[in-house]
Amino acid sequence: MSEKILTKNLNLFYGKTQALKEISIKIRSNHVTALIGPSGCGKSTFLRTLNRLNDLIDSVRIEGEVFIGGESVYAKGVDVVSLRKRIGMVFQKSNPFPKSIYENIAYGPKINGVRKKSELDEIVEHSCRKAAIWEEVKDRLNDSAIGLSGGQQQRVCIARALAVEPEVLLMDEPASALDPISTAKVEELIYELKKNLTIVIVTHNMQQAARVSDHCAFFLTGELVEYDETAKIFTTPSNEKTQNYISGRFG
Amino acid sequence: MYQYLQEELEQLRSKIIRMGSLVEKQIGDAFAALFTGDTELADAVLKRDDEVDKFEIRIDKHCQRIFALTQPVAYDLRLIMASLMINTDLERMGDLAVNISLKTKYLSDFDELFHEVKLDDLAGKVHTVVKMSIDCFVNGDSELAREVIIVDKEIDRLEATIFDLLTEKMKEDNEMIVPCSHILTLTRNIERLADHASNIAEDVIFLIDAKIMKHAKELHKKSEGNEQSG
Repeated sequence: MSEKILTKNLNLFYGKTQALKEISIKIRSNHVTALIGPSGCGKSTFLRTLNRLNDLIDSVRIEGEVFIGGESVYAKGVDVVSLRKRIGMVFQKSNPFPKSIYENIAYGPKINGVRKKSELDEIVEHSCRKAAIWEEVKDRLNDSAIGLSGGQQQRVCIARALAVEPEVLLMDEPASALDPISTAKVEELIYELKKNLTIVIVTHNMQQAARVSDHCAFFLTGELVEYDETAKIFTTPSNEKTQNYISGRFG
Repeated sequence: MYQYLQEELEQLRSKIIRMGSLVEKQIGDAFAALFTGDTELADAVLKRDDEVDKFEIRIDKHCQRIFALTQPVAYDLRLIMASLMINTDLERMGDLAVNISLKTKYLSDFDELFHEVKLDDLAGKVHTVVKMSIDCFVNGDSELAREVIIVDKEIDRLEATIFDLLTEKMKEDNEMIVPCSHILTLTRNIERLADHASNIAEDVIFLIDAKIMKHAKELHKKSEGNEQSG
């Protein structure tokens, strides 16, 4: 299977502080890759370099290269809006728009030019089904998304991200604010979604990383310490720092 | 991740069943070789042991992966723990099949003695109890597992009888010391197969009924009590 995401000697600075140091990584298509590490290690920063979300911070300076599907993310002339259509993102706290469930999911397709009601209906249903939320919302699509439970809101946000058919889904601690049942649903969903998507997930939950991911990258103080198959990382890590972190000795 | 865990556990279960079939065949062939003097069949058992050893490692690694990645609980946890223990027992049963096969060459001239001490009876009972132990894992049958433990005790008594017969023969005739010593070792190897089958049965009871049967004396006493009253 080919690589979907490639970074080469990626460095990121917040002003004078270096947050990422020479990160070179190949992330495979249709795999779930978990980014793990203690707070401040750079994993969320790394995630946000993939869809250029760090561009919104004035003091940020980025060196090195990032490729998604073979195309450079930071090349001159890259349309960031088009880029983010290809790379969906789900955040720690669910952030539905203060609109109906339907409008939340139809929002992306609409701004991408889909106007026909029947086509939008189809996208909404398809996206909700993929996000395993359809059965819970099909009879109340016109209700406000804000009225849903936290777990449901998060899955609506995932449906919203899926509605524009991204190639990559970035998830920044998507289940850390959810109860165990909702967490299990999101994890099941990740397992299903990887059949059609490349997923990169940041998680503080070691067990979640073990359960959901195929590959795991361990970050520490801005460096990529170890990157390997999750089964390898969690049974026979190569680096002692990885061993100490995943077994809870620090972090 | 329930779906993922269930898929992994089903694969593990299938591997244990395949390992069980492989070892059961090894034992069946080892007995057939012993009682017919078929040294080619005995050699085939020796060659296949490598396959058993490799399969044991595959199952160990699979269990390790499931433990590390899925944090199983309750029945799922017991299934992996039981699989690890059953895997070890099956591999040792494979080694005993090898030991039995190694004796085939030396003991091919002593088939009359085999019949006299009823070694074929012992082997038949052991082969049956081995199959029963694998069946009780396949079918999740803890009642059958309890029967296995009782049958193992009968086999222990049969072994003791054979031991007495052989030692008598050695006392009577010095010429019989060497062949009888070989057969004593062989008897011990055959009986050990039933001990491992009994261990597997205990693991199945642990898996199905969540009861730890190791060192439990109740069943043994019950079987002895039944015999005395009968």
